[in-house]
Amino acid sequence: MDTQGSREEEDKMVTMIDYSITIVGAFLAMCMFTTLYGKSSPLYALAEESYIGFGTGLTIVINAEYIWRTGIVNIMRGDYILILALILGAMILFRVHPKYNYVARIPIAIALGAQFGLSLRTIIFSGFIQQITASIVPLFGGDMMTMLYRWTIALSVIFMMTFFFYSIELKGPLATSAKIGEYFLYTAFGAIFAQTFMGRLGLFVGFMQSYTVPPWKKPILLAAMFIVFAAIVIMDRTGMLEKYTPVE
Amino acid sequence: MSDNSLMKTLATYDRRWVYLVLFLVVVGPLLRPIGMPISVSPDTRQYYEAISSVEEGDKILFTLNTEFSGYNEIQAGIVATMRVFIEHNTKICVAVGHPEATGIPELVFNQLRSELDANGYVYGEDYVILGYVMPNEASVASMSQDFQGAITQDWLGRSIDDTFLSEINTWEDWDLIADFTTGLATTYLLNHFALRGTPMTVNCIGVMIASQKPYVDSGVYLAILQSMRGGAELEYLTGHPGPGLTAMDAFTFGHYMLLLFIIAGNVGYYGYTRQQRGGG
Amino acid sequence: MAEILKNRQLQIAVMALAFLLVFVPYFIEVPALEAASTKLITITAIVNAVTLILALQSQIRRGLNIVQRRQTGWYFKAYMIITMVLMVVFAFFGRETGPYHWVMYAVVNPLSSVNYGILAFYMASTAARAFRARNTQALLLLTTGFIVLLYQAPLTGAYAPWLEPIALYFGDTFGMAAGRMFLISVTVGAIVFGVRVLMGKETSVLGVGKEEV
Repeated sequence: MDTQGSREEEDKMVTMIDYSITIVGAFLAMCMFTTLYGKSSPLYALAEESYIGFGTGLTIVINAEYIWRTGIVNIMRGDYILILALILGAMILFRVHPKYNYVARIPIAIALGAQFGLSLRTIIFSGFIQQITASIVPLFGGDMMTMLYRWTIALSVIFMMTFFFYSIELKGPLATSAKIGEYFLYTAFGAIFAQTFMGRLGLFVGFMQSYTVPPWKKPILLAAMFIVFAAIVIMDRTGMLEKYTPVE
Repeated sequence: MSDNSLMKTLATYDRRWVYLVLFLVVVGPLLRPIGMPISVSPDTRQYYEAISSVEEGDKILFTLNTEFSGYNEIQAGIVATMRVFIEHNTKICVAVGHPEATGIPELVFNQLRSELDANGYVYGEDYVILGYVMPNEASVASMSQDFQGAITQDWLGRSIDDTFLSEINTWEDWDLIADFTTGLATTYLLNHFALRGTPMTVNCIGVMIASQKPYVDSGVYLAILQSMRGGAELEYLTGHPGPGLTAMDAFTFGHYMLLLFIIAGNVGYYGYTRQQRGGG
Repeated sequence: MAEILKNRQLQIAVMALAFLLVFVPYFIEVPALEAASTKLITITAIVNAVTLILALQSQIRRGLNIVQRRQTGWYFKAYMIITMVLMVVFAFFGRETGPYHWVMYAVVNPLSSVNYGILAFYMASTAARAFRARNTQALLLLTTGFIVLLYQAPLTGAYAPWLEPIALYFGDTFGMAAGRMFLISVTVGAIVFGVRVLMGKETSVLGVGKEEV
C-alpha cells in the first residue's frame, strides 16, 4: 500500500545529507538492537555512549537556551526581579560542593515550597475530588449497557480500594470485598497489559517504519541489519566480545 | 518430533526466538505492505468530533510532550490532527516539553507543506513554534497565568510581539489544547489549563491509556486518542492515509504473534512443566 | 552567614512561605498577591531548569573517573564526553541546519526510538514466558488480556465486530477503575508527603543530613 505521504517523499530529491543521516542512523540503531543477542558488545556500547553523549549535549543546549529566553532576555527587557532566579540558580549549584553545599538549601526550599504549592492546589481536584465525583453516578436509569458500565465502575473502585487497606485487619465482609477486589484487579491488569503492549509495539513499529518509508531507505535498513548481525556473530565466535566490551 | 519433546520445546524455548519472530513479523509487512481493513473505535470518533469542532481563528496550543521514540508511535495522530487544524484555518502555537522534541515540528510541517500552502499559512500570523518551553511544572503554571511574562521569543530567538501570540495572556485566551504525550508535562497542562476550563484533548501512547481515561470520564479532557491505532483510525476518518494506516499490518501481526506465543507457552506448561512438577 | 544558611528552621519557614505564596492566590483573589505568586513561579521555573546541570555533573564526573582509571572500555566514556562537548559546540553553528541538525536526526532520534522500542521485545518475551494460567487470578488476567489484544489487532476489529463491546467493556470499566483507584491513592500519598515536608518531618528532601536533624 503506497500512501500519499510516501509518494510525496519519493518525489522529493534525496540529498547526500539524507543518505548519510539514514545510513548512520540505521547502523547505530541496529547496534543498539544487539543487546537482544543476549551478550554485551562493543557495538552496543558505541550506540549507548553516542546516545548518552549527544543526548546530554542536546539537553544542555536546550536547557541553557530556556534559561536564556525565560530569564536573561526578560531581564534585558526590564523584568529585573528575575535576577533573583539567576542568583538562586547559581546558589543551587553549590549542592555538589563538599564544603559549601549548605548554600543550596535556601533555593531548594524556595523551589520545593513553590512546587508543592503548584501541585497540591490542583491535584486535590484532578486526582481526588473529581475522580470521586465521577465514580458517584446514578446507578439506575439509562440503557442496559450504561447501567452495566456504571455498576461495574462503582463496584470495581470500591472493591479494589478495600484490597489496598493495609492498616487494619481484613475480616468478614471486608475480607470478601478485598478478595473480589483482587479478582477485579487481575481482570484490569489483563486489559492494562494489552494496552501497554500495544504502546510498546507501536514504538517499535513506528521506528521501523521510519526506515522503510520512503522506499529508498529499505535497502539501507536491510544492509545495516545484515552487517551488524554478522559482526556480532563473528565477534562472539572470535572472542572479541569479551575483549572489547566495556565493564560497567 | 515426539509429543513430549514438542511440549518441552514449547515450555522451554530460548527467548531470543521471540525476539527474532517479533522482528520478522514487524519488518516483513513494512517492507511489503498488505493493506488490511481497520475499524474505528468510539474514542477516536469522539476525538475526531472534538478536534473538528474548532472554528476559523481559534487559538490552539499544540503541545508535544514526547521524546522522539514516542513521536514514532503517535506520529499519525499528530499529523492527522494538525491537518484538521490547518484545514479549519486556526492559529496554532507549537510548544514542546522535551529537548528531543525540538526536532519534531519540522518533521510535522514538512509532511503538511501542501496543506500549509493551500490554506495560505504564514509563520507568525497563523502558526508559531515556541520550542522547549515546558521543562517543569512551574514553567507550565507560568505560561498559564502570565503568558507574556513567561514567553517572549520563539524557538529561534525571534520576538513573538508581532505574532498572534501577543493576544494571549492567560489560560482563558486559548480555545483548545491538543496534547501529544508520553507523560512529561501533560499532568501540568491538565492542572493549570484544563482544570481551569481550557478545553483539552490528549493523544497518548498505549502505556498511558489506563491512567488518562479517568480524566476523560470525569470530563477534564474532551477526548483521548489512543496510541498508534488511534492515529490510524483518525487518518481513516480524515480521509488521508499516512504512516498510521501503513503500520497497521505490522501492528496486527505483532499482536497475533504474541497471542500465539502465549498459547504455545500455556500448552507447553500444561503438557510438560506441570507434569514435571507433578512427578509424571 | 553560614549559620544562617544552615538553619533548618529558616529553611522550613522559607519553604512554607513559598508554598503559601503560590497556594493561597489560587483560591483568594488578591491582585498584588497574584502578581507576586506569578513572579515566584517564573523564578522557580528557571531555578528548576538550572538544577538539571547538577544531574549532568554526576554523569560527567563518573565518565571522567573511568577515563582516568583506564578501566576496560574507558575509550567509550572518553567518546561520550567528547560527543557531549561537540554537541554543545555544534549548537553555536545554528540549529536549523548544519552539524547540530545532522546529529539530531542521524544519532539522537534513531537511538532514542530504539531505546524505547526495545521494550516491545522484552514485554513480548516476558509475556510469552510468564503468562501461565496457573490459578484463577492468572486465568482472569490471561482471558482479559487475550480478548483486548485480539481486539487491538485492527484486522480482528474489522472482521469480528462483536468483539468490540466486550474488549471495550474490560478496558473502560475494570481498566479505568484501576487507573482511577491508583490515581486516588497516589494523590492522597502525594498530599500526605507534601504536608510532611512542609512540617519539616522529611529532612532528606531538604538536603539536610541525618546528623543535622
